[in-house]
Parts: sequence; structure tokens; C-alpha cells
Amino acid sequence: MPLCVTGAGVVSTLGVGRKNFHDALCDLPQTERRLESLTEVSIDGALSTTLLSDFDPSEYLGKKGLRNIDRLTGFLIVAGRDALRDAGLKGDDGTFRVYEAHRVGICSATAYGSLDAITELNRVAELEDPRYINPARFPNTVINAAAGYVSIWEGLKAPNTTIVDGNCGGLDAILYAATHLNAGRGDAFLVGGGEVCSEPLQLAMRKLARFAPSYAGGAHGGGSAEDPGRASQCLRLGEGAVFLAVERTSDAYDRGAHVLARLAGFGTAFEPPSSEAQLVGVSREAIERAARGAISDAGLRPCDIDVVCGASCSARAVDTEEIKAWASVFGEQTAVVAPKRLYGETFGAAGAFGMLHALSWFQGAPIQPLLSGHLPSRVEHVLIATVGFYGNVSAAVLARTS
Amino acid sequence: MSRVFVTGVGVVAPTAIGRSEFHAALCAGRSGVAEVTHFDTAGMDRTHACEVKGFRSRDHLTAAEDRRSGRCSAMAIAAARMAVEDAGMESSLLCTDRCSVILGTTMGEANLLGELEKVWIHEGEEAVAPTRLPRYGTTLLPIHVARALGARGMVLTLPAACAAGNYAIGFASDQIREGRADVVITGGSEVIERLQYAGFLRLGAMAPDHCRPFDANRRGLIIGEGAGILVLESEAHLVRRGGRPLAEVGGYGLACDAHHITRPHPEGEGSERAMLGAIASSGLTASEVDFINAHGTGTQTNDPIESRVLARLFGEGAVPVSSIKSMIGHCMGAASAIEAVSCVLTLDHDLMPPTIHHEHTDPACPVDVVANRPRSQRVNVVLNNSLAFGGYDAVVTFARVGTLPNVEERGH
Repeated sequence: MPLCVTGAGVVSTLGVGRKNFHDALCDLPQTERRLESLTEVSIDGALSTTLLSDFDPSEYLGKKGLRNIDRLTGFLIVAGRDALRDAGLKGDDGTFRVYEAHRVGICSATAYGSLDAITELNRVAELEDPRYINPARFPNTVINAAAGYVSIWEGLKAPNTTIVDGNCGGLDAILYAATHLNAGRGDAFLVGGGEVCSEPLQLAMRKLARFAPSYAGGAHGGGSAEDPGRASQCLRLGEGAVFLAVERTSDAYDRGAHVLARLAGFGTAFEPPSSEAQLVGVSREAIERAARGAISDAGLRPCDIDVVCGASCSARAVDTEEIKAWASVFGEQTAVVAPKRLYGETFGAAGAFGMLHALSWFQGAPIQPLLSGHLPSRVEHVLIATVGFYGNVSAAVLARTS
Repeated sequence: MSRVFVTGVGVVAPTAIGRSEFHAALCAGRSGVAEVTHFDTAGMDRTHACEVKGFRSRDHLTAAEDRRSGRCSAMAIAAARMAVEDAGMESSLLCTDRCSVILGTTMGEANLLGELEKVWIHEGEEAVAPTRLPRYGTTLLPIHVARALGARGMVLTLPAACAAGNYAIGFASDQIREGRADVVITGGSEVIERLQYAGFLRLGAMAPDHCRPFDANRRGLIIGEGAGILVLESEAHLVRRGGRPLAEVGGYGLACDAHHITRPHPEGEGSERAMLGAIASSGLTASEVDFINAHGTGTQTNDPIESRVLARLFGEGAVPVSSIKSMIGHCMGAASAIEAVSCVLTLDHDLMPPTIHHEHTDPACPVDVVANRPRSQRVNVVLNNSLAFGGYDAVVTFARVGTLPNVEERGH
């Protein structure tokens, strides 16, 4: 059953709201320069962060009801609200305009969503007394609570699901929503996810940057929002949230919606490390299999893909395998772009951010930073890929609509 | 669209490990409640839980698997291996991209995280062992299982709190119906951890001694842990290999209350929609449901609301109802998965498991409780109900093979 995107909401370092995000991409300094090749940059085991330090949910939601929600929940509610209005599913007054409340649901991905809350309460339990844990904040330790709050805030009564698949959850959410839409369990879904660059996550990545630099530390190229072509020598952690409003294409056209893109295909694969002693590992074979699966699911051939929105995150082990996989699937000509260099690794939200980039590229935003290949004159099909640290990979194809 | 069959089950429960032992424990009405041994409960006003005693990961895992995994994953791997053996499935049939692993949990390796944070809080960042960091992650649960079995298809965790098992089983059945997989290993796993224990305590949800679902003297839930895994298989794959189905997975229903983050909707609005969805998508009517495995937490809030929904849909006391949480405790993300195993056993043996510690049915809970002893009765269709934090409602039906109409004749 054909599905499409009719709206989007975003909380990111590049802006809050789809239009602001798009405008920020258009305003970035443009460069023709490719990111440096793998061998040119040494690993320094460092780590940096791109934080939404001035984000205040009360600016968007008012002050009431925010006392016990955590940072991720704030991101998700704001992005969700934006997406519903952008799609015209809700009016500015918050009323449902198209479908009833019990026909609109959520598929939200995260990898480490509740870490912040768990640490907060563990500190109370360890340093004071477990009996002092605030019961009103205890639900935040449960990873699906953030998405649950979005349903409460927006009154969405169709299935609400949180998805965890490391860096790949944001794309898996698309398949999940598609399954529900195909089965008639709802008429529209907010699809995407969010991640918070929490204190425990930063600690973990700092430790891993020294312990396993090829995964969490060094990089082969980088860029930044200030200079997309500039090399980065460290993994940068990012944060934020994206929701796309997804519905059946026929319904969207029937209601006169502005269709932003068509969801054309999905693929996933898992290939564990070759050594049984290893826990982490990235597989070129899995990347290829997921990409080919998504392309085939879309009824396309690799040569039909104009741009690959890659997973490259400045972790050498990931990037090396990915570059080899794209060369194998697409040859040397297809443009491979590494947008994470602009705002950092957002783990569970990464796939949703990739989808948002593709929407902006369809609308003329500059396609950068370029990792390899050549920019097309017109973008019809974008393959978005997410690569996990444990051998898990997901890919999706987004298509321009006429 | 294919029919979806359960062809094997595996279980690590507080009352027993393994299918036949678990069934015997259910029939005997054995309680898994005991003093907590995983952590110190001093000063916490409660001392009991349903821990899995006697589970040794090395009995089920290789040395390398044991090093890579935490307790939550270890229980999932163990239950998965039991389920595959129960299905009589050769490992070569699993080592393919047509085999996926989709599991539910609430907090995954919560105890690993707790240990890491304890070191960090008391000894500082330098003391945290980097080798242990990658072992935490809810992502890892299905990945460990996929590695253990050789599966190469989708690996996915659905952390849907106390409804996670039903979420996973439902989506797994979708994957087979839509032709994206031939075999899916699904279910849920959970461990008891101090923070969860303290959290439920602070919510006022924990019983001091036993869990008494639907009883007038119920005083709350008892936290449990464990893993329940099912092998789901497409009809074509099952026929091809000459396997034996244990039960058919009917439809499933999901809904969100959008009401409160921990409390169910006061009228059970979402719960009712989820049940209706499960029944309709099975091609059934409410009158064809023979037994209900209730969410039945034993809390003041849950049981009357759940009972009223059941009475509205099925008639007051019209369908036998039981909650095995009275025996195994509330195993959170594993709860509805272990209970799904129980549902399959109910169909297989025509024996409904009891709700133990039941003395006087609360008048506010107008249900026919299978009290204290198992009830022998022909059972063709079982409904597995679950609710969760976040306002989640998830319901799955299981049916005796040959009971359900063709897939094309079922509704949504």
C-alpha cells in the first residue's frame, strides 16, 4: 500500500520546525570540497558534542505540565506537535482536522532515551535513599514513557510504539508504521525518534573513545555546520528529535494534503562480527544487503538512486565498511552524503534526521557534505542508511512526488 | 497472507525453567514469591519478589556468549534455545535472512547499567570499566539471540513496558503475514533491578506478601523476572519442513489511552479497543473466546477497570479468567510473553491455570476467576491481555489449530 509523508517536525541544533531546518541547510556555507579521505586524518580519540543547550520546551508548550517530563520528552512533544500541524492533521487550536484521535498513532525510536532519568534516580538511590525516589519521575526511567507523553499531550489514541535498534531505529519505525497502516490499525502515524546527549551517554562515549577509538573515537573527515567541508577528527555526539507525518498516499491526496515525499522501500539486515569474542562490529555485507533490499522493495535498481544519505559518523570502523559497501552497490558515481557531520550522531533518531534531509533536498536544499560521487542535477530517489554498532543495518528509499 | 503458527516455546520463569516444568508449576499453583536476593532491600518496606532462582547462564550459553551478555539477554538466549528445540527446528533453517528476532522488554540489562552507575557515582568516571559499557543497551537483547541462533533477518526491540511481550509477538506475526519472514523468534525478557523495585514501591503498587488478582483483599503486585520465547512460523515453512504446530496466532490489537503515564483509562477505553481489535482481526466474535489470560496485576487500580472491560465485552462472568501473575509475579517486559507461553499450554492441555491466593472475588471485579486450582475445559481460543505504562494496551489471541477462519476472511 503506497505511503507518503505529509508533514514533519524537528528539534535540532539547525533549527526547530521543518522550515527553520530547511532554511538553515540553505544558509550553510556551501562547499564543493569533498571530505578528506580515510587515510589523510589520524585518530585522536577525542569526542565533541553538539547540544541543544538553549532548548526550553516551555517556549513552545507553555509552562503547565512540564515539571516531571525529561529532556527527550520535551524534544518529542515539540517535534510531534509541529509535525501534526505541518501535515494539517491538527489545527493551530489543537483540534483534529482529518482523522479522529484513535486513528492517529506514534512510532518513535530511541537508543538511549531513558538514560538521563535512570541516572537521576540512581543518584538519589545511591547517595540518599531508594525511598526518596520521586514517584512522579520514576516513569521516565521506562524507555517508552517519552512517546507515551506525546500521546497524552496530543491526544493520540492509535498504537503508540517505541522502537529500539541502536542507530537503526529511526528507519525501522517506518516499517513499523507501514505495517500498522497496511493492517488498518490507524490512518496516520508520527514516525521518527529522538535522542538526548545525556551525561551518562557522554561518559560512555568518552570512555569508549579511548578504549575503542575506531568505533567511538577518531575519524576520517568531518565538517561542521560552520564549515561542512572541514575535517573533524573526533566523533561528535548530537541530539534532537524528528517526526514525519506518514499516511496512505490515497488518503493524503483525497484530503488535498501537500505530499512531501513517497515512502518507496525498506530493507534491513543483520550480520554479526566474525569473531565470537567480539560484541561490536560493522558489516559491509549487512550494509549492502539492507540497501539492496530497500532498493528492490521500492521496485528500483541501484542506478535509480540519486543520493545516498549515509550513516558516516566519524567512527572509523563504521565509515570504512560503509564506504566499501557504497562502492560495491553503486560504483563511484552516485553521490554519498554524510549529513551527520553537520549536527552529530543522534543514534536512534539518525534515520529520521536522514529522512528529513531528503525532504529538504527534494525542495532544493544544498546536498552536502559530500563524501563521494557526483551531485545529480535533480534528486528523484534518496536512499537513507543507518548502521548500528552491533552488525545491524537498516535502509529506506524516499521518492520525490510530482 | 500466511497463517502464523506457534511451533515451539521456551520459558525461564520464577516458578520453573523449561516448558514441561513450567506447565507442571502452573497446574500445581506454585508460587514464585520469595525473599529478594539480587540486592539489599533493607529499609525498603518490602522484601519479596518473584526472582528466577537456580538459573545458571552457563547451562545454556557458551563461554563467549556468557561474557558478552547480561542476565536479561542470557535468559532470553536460554528460552530461545528451548523454544527452537521444542519446535524441532534444525539450526540450518534459522541461519538465514528470512529468520528475524523481535523481542520486548522494559529496561533490558537494567542490572548492568545499575552496576556501572554505582561505580560511577561512588568511585568516579575513571573507575568505570570500558569493557562493560557496550554490554548495556536495550538494542542488544535480540542481537544476542540472533547471534546465538544464526538468524540474519530483522533484529528489533520493542520496549513497550509491561505490554512488551504482546507488542513483540504481534509485530512478529505481522512480519510473517506480510511475507517479510518465514520464522520469527519472539517474546520478551526482563530482570529485577533495585531501581525498578524502589520505583514500584514509591508508586504504592507493591504487595507486602502475595499478589491476589481480583481478590477483595488484594494489596498490589509482586515484581517478577524471566523470559518467554515463542517460535513463530509461516504455514508454508511449517509444511515444508514437516513441523508440528502448537497453536495459531490470531490477530492482535493495540491502542493507547492517551490518559495518564502510569494509570489506565478509568473506563478502560483503550483496553476495550485493543481487545476488540484482537478479536476482529482474528475473524472471531467475543462469544468465541474461551479463556482470558488477564493482565491481573493485583493492584487496586488495574483489576476493577480490567474486569469492567471484560464484563462489557464478554458478559459478567461469562468467560473464565485467570492471572498467573499470582504465581510468577509481574515480570514486566517479559510478562505477556511468559503468559503467551502459558496460553499456548492452556490450548495444548485444555487446562486453565489458576489464580492462586484467591479467597473472595471483589464485587468490583465481576469476572469468573479460575481460583486456586486449574480448571479442565475444552479451550479453542485464548485472549492474552496486557496494559503498560505510557497508556499502552496490547492484546493477542491464540487459537487451537483449525479453529480460525482463513486469513482473508478476517477483519482489522
